[in-house]
Amino acid sequence: MRRWRIFFSHWENWLGLILVLAFLSGAVFAPIISPPDQKNPGPFKQVGRTSDFVPHPPTEKAILGTLPGQYDVFHTLVWGMRDAIQFGLLVAIGSFLVGVFFGSVSGYAGGLLNSLMMRIADAFLTFPPLAGVVFLQQLVGISITALGGIYYFNTQVAGRTISFQNTPPTLVTFVSRIDPLLISLILFSWVPYARLVNSIVLSLKRTDFVQAARALGGNPSWVIRHHLIPNSISPAIVLGARDVGSAVILQATITFIGLGGASPWGALLSMGRNFMIGPGGSLLTHWWVFLPVTLAVVLFGVSWNLIGDGLNDILMPGSQTNVRFRPTSTPLAEPDAQQALA
Amino acid sequence: MPPLLQFVIRRIFYAIVSLIVITMVLYAGVMLTPPEARAQLYIPRGKGGDRASENYMQSLIQDHHLDDPYLVQFGYWAKSLLEGNWGYSPTLREDVLPSLLRRTPITLELALYSLLLLVPIGIASGLMAGWKPRQGFDNTFRSLAFFGTTMPPFIFSFILLSVFYVNLDWFAPGRLTYSVSLEITKDTFHNFTGLVTLDSLMNGRLDVFWDALKHLVMPVLTLSMYHWATLGRITRATILAERGKEHIVAAKARGISERRLMWHYALRSVLTSSLTSVALSAAAIMTGVFVVEVIFNLNGISEVLVASMSAAPDATAALGFSVYSVILVIMLMLILDIAQAIADPRVRDEVLKT
Repeated sequence: MRRWRIFFSHWENWLGLILVLAFLSGAVFAPIISPPDQKNPGPFKQVGRTSDFVPHPPTEKAILGTLPGQYDVFHTLVWGMRDAIQFGLLVAIGSFLVGVFFGSVSGYAGGLLNSLMMRIADAFLTFPPLAGVVFLQQLVGISITALGGIYYFNTQVAGRTISFQNTPPTLVTFVSRIDPLLISLILFSWVPYARLVNSIVLSLKRTDFVQAARALGGNPSWVIRHHLIPNSISPAIVLGARDVGSAVILQATITFIGLGGASPWGALLSMGRNFMIGPGGSLLTHWWVFLPVTLAVVLFGVSWNLIGDGLNDILMPGSQTNVRFRPTSTPLAEPDAQQALA
Repeated sequence: MPPLLQFVIRRIFYAIVSLIVITMVLYAGVMLTPPEARAQLYIPRGKGGDRASENYMQSLIQDHHLDDPYLVQFGYWAKSLLEGNWGYSPTLREDVLPSLLRRTPITLELALYSLLLLVPIGIASGLMAGWKPRQGFDNTFRSLAFFGTTMPPFIFSFILLSVFYVNLDWFAPGRLTYSVSLEITKDTFHNFTGLVTLDSLMNGRLDVFWDALKHLVMPVLTLSMYHWATLGRITRATILAERGKEHIVAAKARGISERRLMWHYALRSVLTSSLTSVALSAAAIMTGVFVVEVIFNLNGISEVLVASMSAAPDATAALGFSVYSVILVIMLMLILDIAQAIADPRVRDEVLKT
């Protein structure tokens, strides 16, 4: 209980919690807050003439104005919360699970196997996620073309369209539904979790209680599940909370530059970009194109960062707040530099 | 063997291991597709599309061992990579490797200037903020760093474009103004390095240099903003812990001036961890470079990525791009690691002795 008292004694944590709850309730109650178009449900709703390519300021029908093509800003903003929460949590939980599993098993194994496994993990640090996203989408594309389907990628709004002449095998339909961005982000962001957990497991292994658990005849999976993971998981939880925000920001970025992903927020910005930075555009005259989405993206990142900082304080007392990465845990090169000297 | 050389050799060895692991993962992805789709990676110029008959595809599968087990296939693919056969990209209408190499200087220029801006400023500002926490400079630093880390770079680039391009017209996206870009294609302008800023200075063309600099301001600023803030925060956190250590206190007790203490004693001890953190986020920096290139319309290597997504599936370009960007990140990490080893007094002093 003391931990939670500490957590709730900081206004930053309150702010983070309130923001996250606001986004969560927006995500859950999206159909009530902004009812979807019956004929064309989804995160985008067109109000008014669809051939009208001038964004209109807020009216009663669209309380935050419209974009070119009369897309309702408010509707996409609310439905975007659903997508953002879902995507952010999936990325964070996915990379958390993979990282914790890999790091703890490798740490338990120890010795040569551990250094080999962590070396493999470090290799994943060298991969820019953006390249992975495009690569995975190309793979899906050529597989579908090879199976007789039609794959079409639209860099503007819709993203990818997949259609088949005949009914495809179930596996293919399943694979084509998965977001390549999600897979690629998980694949290339689990390493920090593994490194954090690994360094703690390595030091935990020498403690008396773990030695005792092993001496009692506990098998590896039991020791890892009951002693090693519960005691080494806190920093990974903190990292996970912060990753929710940064994953969504990266998703919006990639959607905005038109290389995949399905972030409605990113699509909003990309649809309205000509009225912000095109000739004669300004952030102030067409403020509703720019400001609401920007605020949503920024606040989403801020809220999860604040939660992460708050969790950091209660889960790891004595550490500094507002530190994005913890360089003291296991710097990549430091042990090697020392070995080189020895 | 001097320790630095030993260190460098070890690093290069690790870099090669990383490259092998990543290419194996990439090829494992390719293996998920049917052999006919894999054969597209090997279709040469002028043979793809409808002209590729069933027999021709079968012969490609035979020639490149595409029906063999994973490791054998990977071996043949890696061999063709080493030989420089990265495949022909139908969307670029060009072989992948030359088109990547041709665009590299633009990407390199952007990454180079951003790192030159963000690493010294990040370390210096973090040091100054952490040395006297909760005071004037630290408060400014923390609010700026908060802005830097929470502002998504692509939205920050909007604000820059809207203010400095659309409204003030000080800077512009793109690499050069059109009239200036014609100048550098003339015979009298020699291309030494491919980096416009360096070449123009070597040719003594200050007008071209000035134009290139003006076009670099916004992308470099966008790219530096986020990573400057994270680096500054890490440096600040390290120096907070370092400030109370015995060697600093002892030096202070002996009457060494505050400034020397900070820029000489404390800087050394934070340099290692700060540079390591930059090396660890090298992949994120590279992704940032690609995003900034797309937004500011710089035709660097990310152009290959954009082109590959624009038309029919073009896995050759995407695969070549992935491998190439991994090589770039690995080289960036290697350079930062070596810089860090040189900055580390334990390594450097040994080198000077031998």
